[in-house]
Amino acid sequence: MAYLSEIIGRPVTDLDGKAVGKLKDVIVRPWAEFPHPLIEGVAIEIKGEMNFLPFSAVAALLSPVIPLKYRSDETPSFDLKDQDVLLSRDVLDKQIIDTDGARVVRVNDVELVRVNGTIYISNVDVSWIGIIRRLGLPGLAHFLAGHLHQKGIAWDDVELMRRDQSMQLRVPAEKLHELHPADLAEIVSDLNKMESGQLLDSLDVKHLADTLEEVEPEFQAELVEHMTDEKVADVLEEMEPDEAADLLGDLPKGRKEDLLALMEKDEADDVRKLLAYPEDSAGGIMTTDYAAIPANLTASEAIKALRGMAEDVETMFYVYVLDEEERLIGAFSLNNLIFAKPGQLVTEFMSSRIITVNLTDDQETVAQTVAKYDLVAVPVVDDQNRLHGIVTADDALDKIIPTAWKKRLPRFYR
Amino acid sequence: MTLSAAPVRRRFIARYWKSILLFLSVFGPATITAMADNDAGGVATYSIAGAQLGYPILFPLVIITILLGVTQEMGMRLTVITRKGLGDLIREKFGVKAAMFMFGCLLIANLGTLVTELSAVKTTAAMLNIPAIPAVVVIVVVSFFLIVKGNYKATQTFMLFACLFFLAYIFSAIKARPDWGLAVSNLAYPHGVTWDAKYTRDFLVIGMGVLGTTITPWGQFFISSFAFDKKIEKGKVNYSQLEAYWGAFLTDFFSFFMIVATAAALFGSGKPLLDGIQAAKAIEPIAGNLASELFAIGILNAGFMGLVVVSLSTAYAFAEFFGVSGSLNDSFKKSKVFYILFGIQMVAAAAVALFGNISLFRIAVFTQTINAVALPVVFYYLLKLTNDRSLMGEFVNNKFQKYFAVTCSILIVIASIFTVATFFFKV
Repeated sequence: MAYLSEIIGRPVTDLDGKAVGKLKDVIVRPWAEFPHPLIEGVAIEIKGEMNFLPFSAVAALLSPVIPLKYRSDETPSFDLKDQDVLLSRDVLDKQIIDTDGARVVRVNDVELVRVNGTIYISNVDVSWIGIIRRLGLPGLAHFLAGHLHQKGIAWDDVELMRRDQSMQLRVPAEKLHELHPADLAEIVSDLNKMESGQLLDSLDVKHLADTLEEVEPEFQAELVEHMTDEKVADVLEEMEPDEAADLLGDLPKGRKEDLLALMEKDEADDVRKLLAYPEDSAGGIMTTDYAAIPANLTASEAIKALRGMAEDVETMFYVYVLDEEERLIGAFSLNNLIFAKPGQLVTEFMSSRIITVNLTDDQETVAQTVAKYDLVAVPVVDDQNRLHGIVTADDALDKIIPTAWKKRLPRFYR
Repeated sequence: MTLSAAPVRRRFIARYWKSILLFLSVFGPATITAMADNDAGGVATYSIAGAQLGYPILFPLVIITILLGVTQEMGMRLTVITRKGLGDLIREKFGVKAAMFMFGCLLIANLGTLVTELSAVKTTAAMLNIPAIPAVVVIVVVSFFLIVKGNYKATQTFMLFACLFFLAYIFSAIKARPDWGLAVSNLAYPHGVTWDAKYTRDFLVIGMGVLGTTITPWGQFFISSFAFDKKIEKGKVNYSQLEAYWGAFLTDFFSFFMIVATAAALFGSGKPLLDGIQAAKAIEPIAGNLASELFAIGILNAGFMGLVVVSLSTAYAFAEFFGVSGSLNDSFKKSKVFYILFGIQMVAAAAVALFGNISLFRIAVFTQTINAVALPVVFYYLLKLTNDRSLMGEFVNNKFQKYFAVTCSILIVIASIFTVATFFFKV
């Protein structure tokens, strides 16, 4: 096993043993079928100029003086491709995503392994031992490594961030897709703008929407700043209407209108409705994803009706019962529904004394209502008792839990 | 067609209002960094300057404000544009050894500064009849919990509130009944004293010292880290630049009153001062009890702000250099190393300040020496980075900024080396 930091800067000699320059970098080409890339080429500084050589021109890379197989004037040149990774330029000292640990770390060194005469990149070293080695104490580093058994991050679990190209270096950012959106959101907030943009670009629309929902609103607007309108519109459709409204509320007015125009009509209408209310009112924090059925259904008809809604309503806490004028007359939980006899009318087992909040109530009132009555969600009605949406407990409580304040404050004041 | 003035005015106010809100949204990092430059050591230096030199030492304050503004603006712009801290960028562009060297300097010099802060807290507490040891312990514990429990927003609010205590110096200055005309006119050109050889020499030495306490390596790192932690959007960079200059102005606005207070009360009295607490005591016969006590409370507050900001700057720098998480918005669990490093420095400094038997003067000399070594290197990196087009894009230093910043940096470096030299050679 060898380390990148040890071989960088070593003198390079030609076939005659004459010094030609210094090793500046090692080039690897990511290879989808195999988790550990091979070394494809090297960068050698010859009289202040960078020369790229194929790895086949190097006789022995891991020796104190690196001999070439050619004379200095007849070395073959290496065709550097866009997807090539220069380990020193792109990896060493840079931040990477450790997809196994779902965190952003800084690379202290890169481990190279020789198997049957071929050199592979095995791990990246993010440990203290790497720093000690880099400070010019390889002996101490070796001693510590022998005793502490610090494991590096396998190359397979490394997601690179490069300024000049997207993240899909190996398999299309597959590992990232396996992460929980909340983990992804945390990684995104640790990255700088260009890098987070790349990461988000590599996600599909559904995953992107879930991740954005977990990111602080102030930051959401910035993240979508450079995405195309079509993509953002798709993402907004995927997001919960209340989250989508929050995000749109933070965008410049012109863009907001463009995006709403691009969205599917149903979803856009939902979001428009929410945007009409002040950000800190029940109307501003509610979502229109709720299940409501007419009063004249039986339990079995209700179950059928609810199945039909599965597409639009992600989570059903309560099912709301409305009269012909859309007025809220009752609610029942899924428990109630399952325990009811198939032929029973919903009005028989629903609860008709329901706690509601008004569209214009402030968020504080909503939060207190939810907390006081121990609700999972509270319906939002207008003065005529017509149902407009629901506020879920997590959205409501966000407002009164101090640590979460920050997340919801209008971005101007942050 | 007639134009009604009302809608135009309303529109103007609306636009104006939006700008104010935008400014407030980025407000914080530069102001706090700059105000922390007036830490306990800063107050001491300004007091000595005012007492020994009178109003003419106000003149360099204008130049110092410009220098502070220029250097803070570079650090701020660098971070807002690259979305990385100064520490991150030094590690990425200049490698591990540079990072280690910078961190070593920062850690040692900051420890020295922390000892100065806590010693000032100790002696000031004694003057105000507060038991010294509990005062130091309380201030360390409060700082620790503020940082660990609070998020970025809470910390910023708390620190901005602490800035209000600097108003005490305005009051002390008024109470000292200064010659305001002479004070203000000295901002434009130094006059009103006899420029004999001794005065001129003291003027140079102390003037350089004032510059040295105001522009520090930790200040450069802190503004960058704090702005990074605030996650200021790139689009608001011009507001952040404005804040950098505003912070520099505000700091020296208060320095002005510190100098005026001590100059009015003590200049020409022949009483030499060694620190801020002596100044607080010495102005009592002239400016009264209240002025003296307010001056002392100002020092306590300066010590607290310095304590938090300086320890934070080391912890942030460590996180950036070596890639561990470090954000005030993180839980203790996630950013453990960051928070522990923050706490340990304060505890070590408190131990030295309370029980150590080292002369404060020696610590000050030592700290200033390390800062003088580190500062040229910091500016070298800072200039190199802000001149790098591939990093900064259109926000790269323009020609004027480049030369102006280089000139400023050289001035600052000369000042800090000069200050150290005066310690050693007793000029």
